[in-house]
Amino acid sequence: MKKKGLALLMAATLAFGALVGCGGGEASPAAEDSTQAADDSAASDDSAPATNEDAVANLVAATKDTVAMAVWASEEDQEFTQGLIDSFKSQYPDVTFDITLGAKSEADAKDDVLADVEAAPDVYAFADDQINELVNGGALQEVVSTYTYDVKDENLAGSVEAATLNGKLYAYPMTADNGYFLYYDKSVFSNVDSLDSMISEADAAGKKIAMMVSNAWYNYAFFKGAGFDVSLNEDGVTNTCNWNASGATDVAQAIIDLGKTGTFIDAKEDADIVTGITDGTIAAAVSGVWNADAIKEAWGDNFAAAKLPTFTCGGKQVQMSSFSGYKMIGVNPHSKNVGWAMLLAEYLTNAENQVARFEARGLGPANTEAAASEAVQASPAIAALAEQAAYATPQRVGGNYWDPANTLGLTLISGNPDGTDLQTLLDNAVEGITAPVE
Amino acid sequence: MKDNTNKKERFSFVGYFKDLVTAIAKGDWSVKLSMLFMGAGYTFHKQVIKGILVTIIEIAFIMMCIFYAAPNLAKFGTLGTVQFEQVLDPLTLQTTVNDYDNSFTILLNSIIALFLIVCFVFFWISNMKSVYRLQVIDNAPDSLLKKRINTFIEDINSLFSEKFHLTLLALPTLGVILMNIIPIFVMIAIAFTNYDQSHMPPNALFTWVGFANFKNILANSMTVTFGYAFKKILGWTLLWAVLATLTTFIFGVLLAMFINSRTTKWPKMWRTLFIVAIAVPQFVTLLLVRYFFGDTGIVNSICSNLGVTEFLKSVGLVSQHLNYIPFLSSEHWAKFMIVMINIWVGVPYQMLIATGVLMNIPGDQIESAKIDGANKFQTFVSITMPYVLFIQGPSLITDFVKNINNFNVIYLLTNNSFITPDQALANSNAKEVDLLVTWLFRLTNEYYNYKMASVIGIIVFIISAVFTILSFTRMIAGDREGDYQ
Repeated sequence: MKKKGLALLMAATLAFGALVGCGGGEASPAAEDSTQAADDSAASDDSAPATNEDAVANLVAATKDTVAMAVWASEEDQEFTQGLIDSFKSQYPDVTFDITLGAKSEADAKDDVLADVEAAPDVYAFADDQINELVNGGALQEVVSTYTYDVKDENLAGSVEAATLNGKLYAYPMTADNGYFLYYDKSVFSNVDSLDSMISEADAAGKKIAMMVSNAWYNYAFFKGAGFDVSLNEDGVTNTCNWNASGATDVAQAIIDLGKTGTFIDAKEDADIVTGITDGTIAAAVSGVWNADAIKEAWGDNFAAAKLPTFTCGGKQVQMSSFSGYKMIGVNPHSKNVGWAMLLAEYLTNAENQVARFEARGLGPANTEAAASEAVQASPAIAALAEQAAYATPQRVGGNYWDPANTLGLTLISGNPDGTDLQTLLDNAVEGITAPVE
Repeated sequence: MKDNTNKKERFSFVGYFKDLVTAIAKGDWSVKLSMLFMGAGYTFHKQVIKGILVTIIEIAFIMMCIFYAAPNLAKFGTLGTVQFEQVLDPLTLQTTVNDYDNSFTILLNSIIALFLIVCFVFFWISNMKSVYRLQVIDNAPDSLLKKRINTFIEDINSLFSEKFHLTLLALPTLGVILMNIIPIFVMIAIAFTNYDQSHMPPNALFTWVGFANFKNILANSMTVTFGYAFKKILGWTLLWAVLATLTTFIFGVLLAMFINSRTTKWPKMWRTLFIVAIAVPQFVTLLLVRYFFGDTGIVNSICSNLGVTEFLKSVGLVSQHLNYIPFLSSEHWAKFMIVMINIWVGVPYQMLIATGVLMNIPGDQIESAKIDGANKFQTFVSITMPYVLFIQGPSLITDFVKNINNFNVIYLLTNNSFITPDQALANSNAKEVDLLVTWLFRLTNEYYNYKMASVIGIIVFIISAVFTILSFTRMIAGDREGDYQ
């Protein structure tokens, strides 16, 4: 009897275990600081037109208690970020801070932030592809005003666009190096403008060109390049997609043809690309800065990077597009110290510290001035990204985009094994991509 | 007191309420007063401290109702109506937050409140009964047999002697309620709401939608393919559970027999080697194996160097456009590999259990079989296997249920590397190799589709429970020990 109970319990715990983590927030979330805020705004109304410095001075004056804040940065950024936090504290000697730093990868910050927004850190770093889910989940404070520098003016236009949703700015751009471009071996390719010429050169050398075509993040490059779009609806969850519009079958056919060459291969994972480059089978690959060191080591002096090439679509040469990627700093609106959190976010992303971040960590800055500096331009990977930036678009897609587009990419690059009519194939994928969230 | 203990032996629903009615009908004024003021009966029957304690509990309950249960339960029907709004004053950098409703907190608190109310009703009933019992003892005619009413100290002491089981069980019961029962009720409730990406508290509200989610899991169109995906995944989940349980069991028993065989040299060394495999954490092994068998993994490069890949291509086991063996990236290969890798990972455990069982096979039966001229195979089929099955039957059932929920093997081997070629599956975020539980995990963790995940969770729970109950009642119904002998 006991064993049965135990087995049932185990089954129950297993089945529900994954869900239990969401937990509950505080029992009675009350209006925080509301009275204080009212007092202060009354006070500031008396004074002459307030400036940004006044706002900060008001904040310092209004802060009596210790300012406790939690910050998340990636594992690799811990030491660097801790340094910035320490110097931030020293800027406001009158205020007692208690700032704790946690380690969390930018790539999946949303998973933990959205699990319990009220318990999430006050300031956190995230990759810009999560912005719509974070805004939708109420995890990002709108940047209504800036105090120490102008976020919109000082950062690259693309990064500001990526931090903006429905016309409102929600985050502070930190780096501009999270997109993809082409890595190639200079000894194999003389010209990397078009995929066709690259394929014949690779053939001659007996090498392969790799791209993660069965991955929605990458195969977007073909469709968007040919002018077919996928975008997020205003609800912030579902997508609009015209990958099945007339002419789109040309793109599908182009990917099938590329797959048939046998030289242009699909990599399932990042690791496959690095392995292929290390063992010498792959001479060109579409990837991002995160693989730069490994690839540079394999190719040595022949290491080179460029914008994505063109591909033949319906008889014409079409430039491949890409998702641009930025890393951002966001402020949690459920923070008890939103004001201080915003000031810290500004500090972590200001021009000076973006340069410092590039020097310390090799991450490409989003700040216009910092990005234009010679040191940054000298890095081939970051230069290639800048070149690709002209054809890149920020990632604005809802969750339903990924799985259907992965499958579409896989079907096409494997040569459409079932022989399904291309239009039907695209129609089915688009239906999945644009499906309502049920 | 005596007839009461008799009644306790067999709980009867009618008897339970009959006692209550008797207590109310025959109780004196103080017992009747206890219906409103719970401590009254105790206080007027010489148990003043208990009376005060019970009254405190009653007051606490009433306070709980007013300040906790009522505000939450009032919103339970709608799960909240006031959306979160926050305004930041750019001049002062201070924020103002409205008094918003958090649907999840309302749901959670309402369920806790309901739970407390039910508990209180039971407490109230048992209070009425024990107060009446006191009255009976108090009013009994004076004689040598008359029981004395316990003092408070005596009551406390009894919790450490004759009623010690209550003291011991209090903490585990509380733990089970907090960790299992309440979360399960909350999750069941979520299956009937629209809690998903577009309705995420605290910023948005979610509300009741009745059976809509259950309809969706059975519906089938290109946009809502949950029904299609559910059938496919359920089929594979059950097939996988059967395959995984049987294969590891059979190979485990065989391995144990080989190692136990008298002709095997150094049995201890072999056993230790297999146990070392257990010592390495499973997920480390699985992640390593996954890279070995990746499309560009080491196994693939060995196979292509040896010409195995070309051979498999020529016999049609690998499709023509591939230049690698899709061990973990095409449906049939992946399913085959998952079962194989699971054998490798799971056999050592089964071997350990089987070794213990085999050592306990009654020697006389095997001896007499030998004398009767049975060969080794006959002995195995007619004596060893039935014995092992008899002993291990219940644990096989637990294994089966565990395999239905075997998250590790499937998720770690196929996450990211397996992409479904089936658009209909992709449209509901599923893959051919997903089990219900891995699908559930991806739905919650990557798509925040809590409501569908809850529905799947309930279904997994029902399946596991049905299998467990059915097979346990059949396998250990009555006393089967006699059957075997």
